[in-house]
Amino acid sequence: MTPVPRSMEAAGAGPVRRVDTARRAQASGWWGAALLIATEATLFACLIATYFYLRFKTSEWPLGGIEKPSVTLPLVFTGMLVATSIPMFLSVKAARGGAVRAAWWLLLLATAVQATYLGLQIHLMVDDLHSFSPQANAYGSIYYTLITVHHAHVAVGLAIDAWLLWKLARGITNYRLIGLRVAAFYWYFVSATAVAVVLTQLYPSL
Amino acid sequence: MTVTAPAATDVRLKRLETIWKESPGVLGWLTTVDHKRIGILYFFTSLFFFGAGGVEALLIRTQLIGPNQSTLDPATFNEMMSTHGTTMIFFFVVPMSLGAFGNYLIPLMIGARDMAFPRLNALSYWIFLCAGTFLYVGVFSGNAPSAGWFDYVPLASKAYSPGPGIDFYALSLLFVGISTTFGAINAIVTIFKLRAPGMSLNRMPLFCFAFLAVSFALIFALPALSTALVLLELERLLGFHFYIPSAGGDPILWQNLFWIFGHPEVYIIILPAFGIATSIIPTFVRRKMVAWPLVALAEILVAFLGFGVWAHHMFAVGLASATTIYFAAASLIIVIPSGIQLFSWITTIVTGTPRFQTPLLWIVGFIVLFILGGLSGVTFAAIPFDQQTTDTYYVVAHFHYVIFGAAVFPLLGGMFYWFPKVTGRMYNEGWGKASFWLTFVGTNITFFPMHILGLDGMPRRDYTYGPEMGWTGLNLIETLGAYLLALGLLSVFVNLAVSLFRGAPAGNDPFGGDTLEWSTTSPPPEYNYAVIPKVSSPYAMWDVEDREEDARNLELGRKTLEQGHETAASTAVDAEWDEILEMPSHSAWPPLVALAMSGVFAMVLLQQWLAAAIFTVVLAVTVAGFHLKEPEEA
Repeated sequence: MTPVPRSMEAAGAGPVRRVDTARRAQASGWWGAALLIATEATLFACLIATYFYLRFKTSEWPLGGIEKPSVTLPLVFTGMLVATSIPMFLSVKAARGGAVRAAWWLLLLATAVQATYLGLQIHLMVDDLHSFSPQANAYGSIYYTLITVHHAHVAVGLAIDAWLLWKLARGITNYRLIGLRVAAFYWYFVSATAVAVVLTQLYPSL
Repeated sequence: MTVTAPAATDVRLKRLETIWKESPGVLGWLTTVDHKRIGILYFFTSLFFFGAGGVEALLIRTQLIGPNQSTLDPATFNEMMSTHGTTMIFFFVVPMSLGAFGNYLIPLMIGARDMAFPRLNALSYWIFLCAGTFLYVGVFSGNAPSAGWFDYVPLASKAYSPGPGIDFYALSLLFVGISTTFGAINAIVTIFKLRAPGMSLNRMPLFCFAFLAVSFALIFALPALSTALVLLELERLLGFHFYIPSAGGDPILWQNLFWIFGHPEVYIIILPAFGIATSIIPTFVRRKMVAWPLVALAEILVAFLGFGVWAHHMFAVGLASATTIYFAAASLIIVIPSGIQLFSWITTIVTGTPRFQTPLLWIVGFIVLFILGGLSGVTFAAIPFDQQTTDTYYVVAHFHYVIFGAAVFPLLGGMFYWFPKVTGRMYNEGWGKASFWLTFVGTNITFFPMHILGLDGMPRRDYTYGPEMGWTGLNLIETLGAYLLALGLLSVFVNLAVSLFRGAPAGNDPFGGDTLEWSTTSPPPEYNYAVIPKVSSPYAMWDVEDREEDARNLELGRKTLEQGHETAASTAVDAEWDEILEMPSHSAWPPLVALAMSGVFAMVLLQQWLAAAIFTVVLAVTVAGFHLKEPEEA
């Protein structure tokens, strides 16, 4: 029988790299994340479908004389979030290559931009709340629901980042490497949904 | 080859026992992550909900025993009818199949020592328990939901259901949805990653294919329900508008979202039953399943096609003709994979040498009831017929044949089949057969006349009827049938309960079973298998040479994984051995996370937003605690 690695025992850059290289299939954690992302993506699909279902039930959109959303800032901010996929990708690459410090700094950079994105997005939402409320009509309701669900996903991502920064500061293990890969996977998903959400949100102005 | 002395084998077994030993007493059950214990917890909890749903059903039938009865007032009748459906579907059938049977059996059937995520598995159970308790706090505090199990708006809107009953319904279903999602993810990853090396997908038991299909269906179906429920609660609690036309909403949006979930849910309910049938039939007819690959594909196809038929629940809504015709066609197409399975079961039985012991009797009963329920189901694909029978007892007859007859009968058969494995004791065979016949006859007496009443126009969900309608006789028969059915079910559980203490010792394999679980002791040890089993076919237990090799491996200390809480991980398709995983052991965090989550849901229901925020922070802390310890630190 060929020796099979006890992968969870791998700690430190060298052993972790060896296990990662030897693995022929995705780890259980990766599969778990992929399935969670699949179910969350379906949730966004349902919300976006709801938006357009409500939109095509009426000739006027936005309803009730609400102004059409402004385009520039949401698109710029979304671009900013999507761009964090690069440091996330590089962070995973560095960790797999054994460069744990570089991985940590890249993750910190991504986290800082993602946190800034969330702050700016909330600021924009508060601005919107001054002009129309979610209770105004169905447009307001689905507009804020969609954005808030997206923000909640960003907040969860930031919590995962914080946990990983704390863990990786104490060195790398196989478990943490899988965690970092899962976090990157999650952020790619959040970036993709950010694009879908912002295009839906800006649809009346496009 | 040098074979070591049996003493060395004993030492290995002792070492595995020590490594995998569960904590004793109540604390052990509270902190367990053992899939078998969690399966047992799921079993008893969902059984409790089955009892509650059963009592509600009997109250409904008692009210309808004759015209103008007053056992229940109209409001209570609505509550019983709504809670009965909600309980049976969300808190009995799904947790009993995926939670109890899936949890207990999937790792055993694939030769693993636990589920892929054992702590998440425990969390799924505790969330399920808390969600069920949440719903029944509503019921016992006089706030039961009363808008039916599918909770149509505008009846469920604040204007027409101002009390908190609908909020208990919506929040408890959102809550239990989290549990079910975690359970489905866990089942898929377990099946993909923890199959014994050698068990490529084409050597996996059909039972696991069925559970794989169910789990995938859940992953993609539940978000539609969650969306519908979140929108409903935002509307009810915060004054948003999604379903109210005057503010730009649309009540049909609810129906679409609900049935996008609801129809796949029908297959989610019934597919585990198919899986159980494909386990029991080969054992009792002494032959392999006919058309194994077609059955495996059909199980997956049923789950997939189930997503394309939802609007056949809405033919009476007034949708465009093109839409209804598409959904009618899709509803007919789904007959094909269902038919493949049906013909496979029948052909396997007919061409084998059947021994009609209790488990097989339940499966034969299931096949008969599934044919009847399936045939009445096909009639709904005829749009004009559907429009005539919508909201009549014909529909009630159909879905009880499918959900009770076709889904629950195999669960009951499965209880008899795996009772010796779980408990180490045999049930009483004569009593088992008698309880089958009581239940089978009771089921038909209860539900068959509903077809006739439905065709005669008796509407479902009405709390009573007048004597002039001519429905008295058949309703009386149905109610008597319901009591007979209840007696049959009671006799099942009394048999099993008594056998638990007085049954004859079962041995490892009392029926000559076909799958791996029969190769280990009854009940199985905490570590399931001392040796990671060798697998060469989907009927691993009948591959005698492989089982002999397992015994040799144990003597030689090969594939015993005795350095820690270990199991084998394989590649997803070909099951080549890829890793040895260190599995987590007991943890107090899962029940604590579930309790914190209950706090959030309770405060949202009470609209105590500050308290809800505080509980959210507590929840975040418990989730952090859940992730504090890494496997190598265990």
